[in-house]
Amino acid sequence: MAKTAYRKPKKKVHVFDIVNYIVFILIGLLVLVPIWKVVVDSFNAVGVYQFRLWPEDFTLDGYKTIIHTQRLYRPFINSVITTALGTLLGLLLSTLGGYVLIQFDMPGRNSFAYFLLFTMIFSGGMIPEYLVMKQLHLVNSMWILVVKHGMNVYNLVLMRNFFEGIPASLFEAAEIDGCSPMGIFFKIVLPLSKAALASIGLMFAVTVWNDYSTVKIYITNPDQVNFQYQLRNMIMDGDTPTTQYSVSQNTLFYAAIVCAILPFMALYPFLQKYFVKGVNIGAVKE
Amino acid sequence: MSKKKKITTSTGVEVRHKPLGLRIWNNRGYYLMFLPVFVFILVMYYWPMLGIRYAFYDYKPVGAPTFVGLKHFYSMFKTDAFWSAFRNTLELSIMKLLITTFTAVIVSIFLNEMGNLFAKKTLQTIIYLPHFMSWAVVASIFSLFLSPSSTGLVNGLLRDWGILAPDAKGIYFLASTAWWRPIFYLINIWKETGWGTIIFLATLAGINPELYEAADIDGATRMQKMRFVTLPALANTIITVLILNLAKVMNMFESVFVLYNNAVYSVSDVISTYIYRQTFAIALPNYGYSTAVGLFKSLVGCVLVLVCNWASKKTRGRGIV
Repeated sequence: MAKTAYRKPKKKVHVFDIVNYIVFILIGLLVLVPIWKVVVDSFNAVGVYQFRLWPEDFTLDGYKTIIHTQRLYRPFINSVITTALGTLLGLLLSTLGGYVLIQFDMPGRNSFAYFLLFTMIFSGGMIPEYLVMKQLHLVNSMWILVVKHGMNVYNLVLMRNFFEGIPASLFEAAEIDGCSPMGIFFKIVLPLSKAALASIGLMFAVTVWNDYSTVKIYITNPDQVNFQYQLRNMIMDGDTPTTQYSVSQNTLFYAAIVCAILPFMALYPFLQKYFVKGVNIGAVKE
Repeated sequence: MSKKKKITTSTGVEVRHKPLGLRIWNNRGYYLMFLPVFVFILVMYYWPMLGIRYAFYDYKPVGAPTFVGLKHFYSMFKTDAFWSAFRNTLELSIMKLLITTFTAVIVSIFLNEMGNLFAKKTLQTIIYLPHFMSWAVVASIFSLFLSPSSTGLVNGLLRDWGILAPDAKGIYFLASTAWWRPIFYLINIWKETGWGTIIFLATLAGINPELYEAADIDGATRMQKMRFVTLPALANTIITVLILNLAKVMNMFESVFVLYNNAVYSVSDVISTYIYRQTFAIALPNYGYSTAVGLFKSLVGCVLVLVCNWASKKTRGRGIV
């Protein structure tokens, strides 16, 4: 077959597309450059103001200092513990509450819903809360983080909205088979809700891990603070712990920032859909 | 048996209702499951509400509370720092809301126009990222970048570009009343724009493609399609987002708390940070006064929620709580 003179028409490249790609790259860089500078400088022994793609003078001293300084690793461990427990408690309470709120033939269900919703409109405020926590001996204890974030009405409502999507016939069938409410909860509701548990669990985890102000308000004992508090105190209030390492302040600061964001940044690319899904669970019902 | 209540549903089917006692007994498992939630809500939310009475008491860390009536409210309304904090709360949160909503809309439109799905997904992944960083981390990063020391990125670049003289002292951005607010808004844009696009992208994905086809047939340019199809479709969502967030303007706390310092109280202090300092940063706090300010904040917040709830019902047919 002879070659024909036919040529596929070239896809027209609009100016707009080029502009769009440039804008895309710019937006991406605006977000990534600050983060990349933090990471690079955490490995750089000399503090420079310029943006470098790679560290000039590679060092791990910043991280070594954090691992070996009690005032720095202790808050990190506290953060891990409170985040784990806060997430567990949060998931427990929001699944229990959400499940009870879909029991439509339960007398008092509406009152329970209003009992919960009222807390979203009105609150006692910072000081009355502080005084209650003081009476409960939770001031100056890291458990305040677990207790305070474990009960979250907003997440409970998200969980309820998700449960509402489970077909009621499944519950009825289980009930006829003689399954108790607890049995239905553990054998049917929870296994069907893995995606919601992942997203809402991540929301709890991010909240507890990232909390700074609760610690600032309630905790003064340096053994009980979390990593976010220690980080901000060190960088912005000049409260740098003494260490045996001769590490440049800049390197230590940036390494601490990396440690504070590492857990979620490491998980983020793999769990992005769960991170983002939380927003949409609430919108499913409509 | 004749006393058994009979209920007729809307379809006319007669339903025999079990007596209340039996229904409660049948649901005992569920009450048991609600118990832990009930206890937590009671202790964490309702018990503090009882403490609101201290707004009418003198209550110091030592000594018993004494009733003083409205004294704290009189002194609060006569305090300049309180009014400044109230104004700042409204100004900062409303400006922040408008600016980040605006940038989120712009970025979503660009994302929506991107034909290359891989590029789109990648950029989405990137711009959601800062939302998951804590305010403490973001404040730390930007305070290092903006630091006037020799390692501060921004001041270094300003010297390189000749805007600052090479030997000039760096600008202390976060301690400057002129710079603090612009920096605050920029940091908010950096942190929250990406996350804000989610809801707008969902709306854009729901636009009927026929609208674009019709516009094509009419010979609309890309810009015209954005202007006459995309933007009107977004209008409702923008209003929803504004209403939802307007209800929360009094809550502004952590973002300011991590970024402000005593040099910039006049432009940055908000109600919650004011309460914090009146309680935890002075030698002899009066819990009564802080509680009174907190009560004022809660009441304004409550009114805002109810107003926004009403507005939301009007505009989109369902409330926000």
